[in-house]
Amino acid sequence: MQAIQLRSFGKGGIHVDSGKERTAHKPIEPLVPPPREVWLPLVESFGATATEIVKKGDLVARGQKVAEAGPGGVPVHASLSGRVKPTVKRPHPTLVNAPMMVIEAAADAPPPLAFPGDPLWRDCPRDEMLARIREAGIVGLGGAAFPTFRKLALPEGTTVDTVVINGSECEPFLTADFRTMLAHPLEVVEGARLMARLTGGGRVLIGIEADKLEAREPLERAAAEIPGGLPVEVVPCEVRYPQGAERQLVTSLTGRVVPARALPLAVGVLVQNVATAQAVYEAVRYRRPLLDRVITVTGPGILDPKNVLAPLGTPLSQLVSFCGGMADGTTRLVAGGPMMGRALPRLDLPLLKGMNGLTLLTGAGPLEGGYHPCIQCGRCIEACPLGLEPDQVSVRVEAGRTLDTDPFGATDCYECGCCTYVCPAERPLLQFMQIAKSALRRARQVKAG
Amino acid sequence: MSEERRFVVAPGPHVRAGASTAEIMWWVNGALLPASAWGIFLFGPRAAWVIVGSVAGALIGEWLAARAMKAHSSLRDGSAFCTGLLLALTLPPLVAPWQAALGGAFAVVFGKMIFGGLGYNLFNPAMIGRAFMLATFPVVMTTGWAWPRLWYGDKLQAVTTATPLVVLREQGPEKAMQLLSGPGGPYVSLIMGLRPGSIGEVSVAMLGLGALVLLIRDIIKPTIPLSVIGGVALVTSFTGASALHLLSGGLWLGAFFMATDYVTSPKTRNGQIVFGLVVGVLTGLIRVYGGYPEGICYAILIGNTLTPALNNWFRPPRTMPVGVPS
Repeated sequence: MQAIQLRSFGKGGIHVDSGKERTAHKPIEPLVPPPREVWLPLVESFGATATEIVKKGDLVARGQKVAEAGPGGVPVHASLSGRVKPTVKRPHPTLVNAPMMVIEAAADAPPPLAFPGDPLWRDCPRDEMLARIREAGIVGLGGAAFPTFRKLALPEGTTVDTVVINGSECEPFLTADFRTMLAHPLEVVEGARLMARLTGGGRVLIGIEADKLEAREPLERAAAEIPGGLPVEVVPCEVRYPQGAERQLVTSLTGRVVPARALPLAVGVLVQNVATAQAVYEAVRYRRPLLDRVITVTGPGILDPKNVLAPLGTPLSQLVSFCGGMADGTTRLVAGGPMMGRALPRLDLPLLKGMNGLTLLTGAGPLEGGYHPCIQCGRCIEACPLGLEPDQVSVRVEAGRTLDTDPFGATDCYECGCCTYVCPAERPLLQFMQIAKSALRRARQVKAG
Repeated sequence: MSEERRFVVAPGPHVRAGASTAEIMWWVNGALLPASAWGIFLFGPRAAWVIVGSVAGALIGEWLAARAMKAHSSLRDGSAFCTGLLLALTLPPLVAPWQAALGGAFAVVFGKMIFGGLGYNLFNPAMIGRAFMLATFPVVMTTGWAWPRLWYGDKLQAVTTATPLVVLREQGPEKAMQLLSGPGGPYVSLIMGLRPGSIGEVSVAMLGLGALVLLIRDIIKPTIPLSVIGGVALVTSFTGASALHLLSGGLWLGAFFMATDYVTSPKTRNGQIVFGLVVGVLTGLIRVYGGYPEGICYAILIGNTLTPALNNWFRPPRTMPVGVPS
């Protein structure tokens, strides 16, 4: 094989068992049969609560808007044709409980809405593009779920010269983005170009980790399909967690260093996930709202791991059944991958826009056996991609000296978890960092009055 | 499938790297096995009893101290075992097992537990134990050397002799080399340990084998050992007996297994280089100009005192400019 020059970031990071072999070779499968019921949260992580515009008993078509966006938020669409049931508070993956619109499949429901293309989509003006992206309910699909129209609107005084499409998918186990790049290269590339045009970026860089080289050729072919299009370059990067963290990827691809606590915008770069790019393309060209997402259902606790295309709001239990059910000894359920994912207590939760994975794990997790004193081995310092000192933060938090942690970088931590992963004393270093970070923030707020 | 099912909710990351503290400690203990076994082979069952005594003393010390402190007993993490074993390997073979046991207990209780247990100690516990024994049993600790029984048989093993470093110090390099006139010449004697010396320090080959395992498993990094050896080479290069200094005494045992102790050595690479050089240079200075023929023990203890300062002076570099707190 021809040697390829791989880009990467400087110090730190870890080589984790990727576990992607479970699903990397499996094409995206639509969820069949579709769910009998979907639960659509009226609140996303960002922005105000959406206001319902249909009422109990109404018949709605898949694709129809069912709740108007609150300020700073995005609208909600029916991901399933059916009958609206009473809005109730239901368990929510991140908010504990949240009001959700429940739509139940019905025999007399209208067919899904069709979304014909706009022939002039390439010349769509900036404000119209932003409106379509907002109307489509698009949020960052890499996990953060920040409303995309807000990110693309750019704060006053910032300029963008490069749009980075994050196809690195450094999180272990997950292959949703990889399969999306293989299945929809044209959509990803065109979505990226639209965002570059929208923000004034002159070029698009698609960063992929070297274990996804298979996606390079289809993306490059898609980029070459439209002559004279904005330059799109696919850049292979080293397989090293957290290659896909914005800060790390920007450094790997452009050599620019994002200052502490700043966004990549500070160095003229806008970073978007591949699935977001695809959604933007469909929103601008077809005015098609975000109705489904690809989720990797994986881990040692699932019998038949898959990449599933499922309607938003699908109960997670249904995804688990679709993937063969749970293995004996499954103890933990994680929204996302095993590094940055969030543990879930139960399966009767809806599929959210930001959920790129559902990882089922067996056996006892870290911390269940407690943790031990720091033996000062220095592994966390070596693993931290930012050059912070989690060991120093952790012993100070333990000693109750939370406010003395600032010089060791607690404020700058973006919680990739490398330190905790490598700690032989199994210390929850990331959580010590979080405690220190929030205490420091409070102290600053008090000081500022 | 029941939707009633509940799962364990814990903060992430939800996976961990393999090596735990206990695993690391037992790997170190395992890496000391070749040197220990070879020491027993060379010096006979006496050496085995010294090792047993020292390890038993260390374990009992740990258990008693943990009870007194009402702390969770940490016998299983292998660190007390490691302290006892390391101490034993630095002892002359003619030390009595009860003396070794006392040393092991002192090492763990006053070298580690008194500071709060594993992770909180300032000094290398095994070296504290050895310093204690040197002060408490000075005669046997400085003259309790035996010839390897390969030449003289079991009967003569209680006849004390001098180590090459003692002879080097008192009678010069030629005499020291004569002491090493075993089969295969002086260098084979040094490398295979066919010479009088402490139980575990004599064979550079056996120590190197163990060290190699730790290096391959990434439990230790070469930074500190190379700096220590470099420091000794630097100082002893003026004496004309560099090779003897580098292959003799407890240098390899100290450089690879004691100066690399996580708790008592600096965390960043640059700090480790300075630490290693300080330990190496001090070892050389003590050997050449000081009052003892061997200096690695005190050199490491003095180096340990610098560790907190070195951790402060050599911080990891931030990979990004520091912004304004938001």
